[in-house]
Amino acid sequence: MTARVEAVRSWYRDQSTISLAAGAAGALAVATVVVGGPLLFVVNGLVPHERLLDTARGRAMTTLLGTGIVVGAAAIAVGFGTYKRMVTKAARETAISGGALGIQAVLLAALFLFFRAGEKFPLLVRQNFSFDVLGEFGREFVTGARNTVILAGGGEFFGIVLGLFLAMLILSSRAVVRAPARTYINFFRGTPLIWQLSFIFAAVVLTARLPVSVFQVGILVLGLNAGAYSAEIFRAGIQSIERGQIEAARSLGMSYLKAMRYVILPQAFRRVIPPLTNEFIILIKDTSLIFVLGLTERQRELFGIGRDAYSETFNATPYLGSVLGYLAITLPMIWVVTRLERRLQSGLTGVIGR
Amino acid sequence: MSASDGALVRLENIHKYFGDLHVLKGIDLEIERGTVLVVIGPSGSGKSTLLRTINLLEEPQEGKVIFDGRVITDIRTDLDNVRTEIGIVFQAFNLFPHKSVMDNITLALRKVLKLGEKESRERALEQLEHVGMGHKADAYPSQLSGGQQQRVAIARALAMRPKLMLFDEVTSALDPELVKEVLDAIRLLADEGMTMVVVTHEMGFAREVGSRLLFMDDGKIVEDGDPREIFAGPRDERTRSFLSHVL
Repeated sequence: MTARVEAVRSWYRDQSTISLAAGAAGALAVATVVVGGPLLFVVNGLVPHERLLDTARGRAMTTLLGTGIVVGAAAIAVGFGTYKRMVTKAARETAISGGALGIQAVLLAALFLFFRAGEKFPLLVRQNFSFDVLGEFGREFVTGARNTVILAGGGEFFGIVLGLFLAMLILSSRAVVRAPARTYINFFRGTPLIWQLSFIFAAVVLTARLPVSVFQVGILVLGLNAGAYSAEIFRAGIQSIERGQIEAARSLGMSYLKAMRYVILPQAFRRVIPPLTNEFIILIKDTSLIFVLGLTERQRELFGIGRDAYSETFNATPYLGSVLGYLAITLPMIWVVTRLERRLQSGLTGVIGR
Repeated sequence: MSASDGALVRLENIHKYFGDLHVLKGIDLEIERGTVLVVIGPSGSGKSTLLRTINLLEEPQEGKVIFDGRVITDIRTDLDNVRTEIGIVFQAFNLFPHKSVMDNITLALRKVLKLGEKESRERALEQLEHVGMGHKADAYPSQLSGGQQQRVAIARALAMRPKLMLFDEVTSALDPELVKEVLDAIRLLADEGMTMVVVTHEMGFAREVGSRLLFMDDGKIVEDGDPREIFAGPRDERTRSFLSHVL
């Protein structure tokens, strides 16, 4: 904590009055627009949507945005006009930051003013920001979020197991083993998921008459699809491990499988966490495609809930609910994975490049 | 066939190609038990490939490798089993970065030799003490210097209680001041009578520790004999030229 205080102190010592002024003006301009604007909406009330419209077009908002533009412009002028004359690196960076923040404030405020003046602006607000409509579907969105998590989680689990297996096959030295895995992967990567869902649903449920639910087919197909992508991720991860690792393991008498299990895969797993997370996030969003299977009311996922609510109310605000639901799932997950990655890497620091 | 008499290693007419490159050109070699065989030669002469052929990390296209009475180039031989008896230490250490020093050593003891947890740890610790690394059992490879990593790698190989040790330019990746600690560990092993093949650029070490010396050039063994005699008076012109460049 004291180290942080000391860092702030030394930063401050290196500043000049002008760099501080530019930085402060930039920060103030952005805060006015990004914090002040939304705050004004909240203070005036979010429902009904007419109130949002009044706030957006009201005088208070005009003053707020005008202030943001004027202060932002000042920050741009001062920051970019003086940064070359700053004596220290810290002062120069503050001046440039002030200018950059000023640009953001001006652009955002101008953009809002532009949209606000539009003829169809009231329609946009009513169609997308009628929060009272959203409130009616609260419980359904919770069910939808749960189903999205089950679909994506189940699909990803199945996909990782399948992907690992496929990766082992495409890394085989035998062409006859590689060929079928390669064909599978290229097929599932090369065709649209939405087609895979409909076709496999038709094949499994309608033609083969297997006693599986639509929901289960959804998980299955998402897994089959994720497996193809994960296989490539695992292959790249395994191939990125230095040759010396498998040579050392085999020289100690380990079989190929033991070397993979105890030496190569644990290291490869750490390296594929970022691309695997990326793949999982895409899968979470791809769950929205299973609406083509025709789900029952309790099976609907986030996007399906929004879609049905839209056709019920003729108002698009429920889609905003879906989007908030997706973010509520993906953002914490990204956060957790970043932590996990940092923790797993701790034993490996300094290995690369040594 | 009795395993205890005759040479520990026998190579018969070994040919190795990397694509069009003919790296080993008909090598015949016998290594008796207790020998410290030092292999020197210019880079690209095939000395590392020769060493890696002995535990079949490089598979020769032609010829036989016989270890302790077993023809290991025969695909019916259980190669994994034979490899437990041949320790190898690499230029790049190749420790497992995700495992502690202790786990680096016990992994193969437990998973390959099927020793118990306790016995594995005892054996590992004993070997770590031997190379002066007992105090670093819980460290990770990335926390060690190059010389320390290489000594752990030596301990890892020795813990398997091999009949033969292979050293593949083990000091080439080290800072000069760290070379000695690794060479000392190998010297100690030589004094204890371990059979070893050492590919090296350390000429002083070759002369002092080796009981037999090979000079290789262009995929062939050019000179084979007592290190002191060869260093004092090389017979072949290529050996003479090489030694005059490196000494």
